[in-house]
Amino acid sequence: MVFEDLYKSYWQKIFRLCMGYINDYDLAQDMAQETFIIVWQQLPKFRNEANISTWIFRIASNNCLRQIEKQKRFPKAALPVHLKEEKEENIEPQIQFLYACISELPETDRIIISLELENIKQSEIASIVGLSEVNIRVKIHRIKEKLTQKFKENES
Amino acid sequence: MNPNINFNELWAKQKTGEPDIEDLLSKMNTFKKSNLKKLIITNLLLITTSLFIILIWVYFQPQMITTKIGIIVTILAMAIFVIGYNQSFVLFRKQTNALSTTEYLKDLLAIKAQQEFMQTTMLNLYFILLSAGIGLYMFEYTVRMTAFWGIVAYGITSIWILFNWFYLRPKQIKKQQSKLDEMIGKFEELHEQLTQNESIH
Repeated sequence: MVFEDLYKSYWQKIFRLCMGYINDYDLAQDMAQETFIIVWQQLPKFRNEANISTWIFRIASNNCLRQIEKQKRFPKAALPVHLKEEKEENIEPQIQFLYACISELPETDRIIISLELENIKQSEIASIVGLSEVNIRVKIHRIKEKLTQKFKENES
Repeated sequence: MNPNINFNELWAKQKTGEPDIEDLLSKMNTFKKSNLKKLIITNLLLITTSLFIILIWVYFQPQMITTKIGIIVTILAMAIFVIGYNQSFVLFRKQTNALSTTEYLKDLLAIKAQQEFMQTTMLNLYFILLSAGIGLYMFEYTVRMTAFWGIVAYGITSIWILFNWFYLRPKQIKKQQSKLDEMIGKFEELHEQLTQNESIH
């Protein structure tokens, strides 16, 4: 598995997962980069019997959860700054609202709903998070209800 | 608004620029190196100090057994510190980020508990051995002095050791501990978030 290919196909997905978790554009980019640093470091250890997508999303989710101790491990200035400037400019308020709502959920719920919205199969989400499929389904259902509720409140 | 909001569609609209991959790769290398550098420096520092102490033994040929024991105890203290320090590094390297989140959090909690042990028990052991080592080592040279200077020498050393024990050590432990406690608390909370609903079904 070539790192460059993984990077190309997963960068946006991982960024969205981080964005849903933290709802801060710059920080989310840092976190996505950290994820790929770990992916790059651990790629030689990747065994083919596992699903590469599950593997990457596990690393990304775990990295999100470790956010609180990150500041000192990856000094911010050490990460690349040459990003194609394509910032939040034209983002619809609805998109912003969705990400804001998600980032206010309990930490683990943020990850579960982000994976669901990324169209990942529930059985795979179960395997990423380490819970039963039934449990995941129930959680997703509840989170979606909560989000719909918030959108309705926002509307009125 | 349509009650059936398409969250998936909204979700996918969030896009971001891709950082240049070459840049990312080169930064990764520096990061890896800087971490390793810290480990190597700590090891080298303590190994050189130990070698220096051994050289003293060889050159000055201490006569008393207390001096020799003192030297051995001091080196032992440093060896324990290095081993402990290296082990915590290995633990972090071994850690598998690719575990499922539930397993990962369990793993993290175990590592943090071990870190806590390292930072209290090992640090105490280090201080005790180091103080005992210095005290024993000094004995041979102090008995050659007059009583007055002997007391001054031991007095100053004792003050230094007590300062370390009662001021520097607790300060160091407290600094690391509060950070660790905060993290352990947070990880426990996260683990609970995942497991508490498991029993609903």
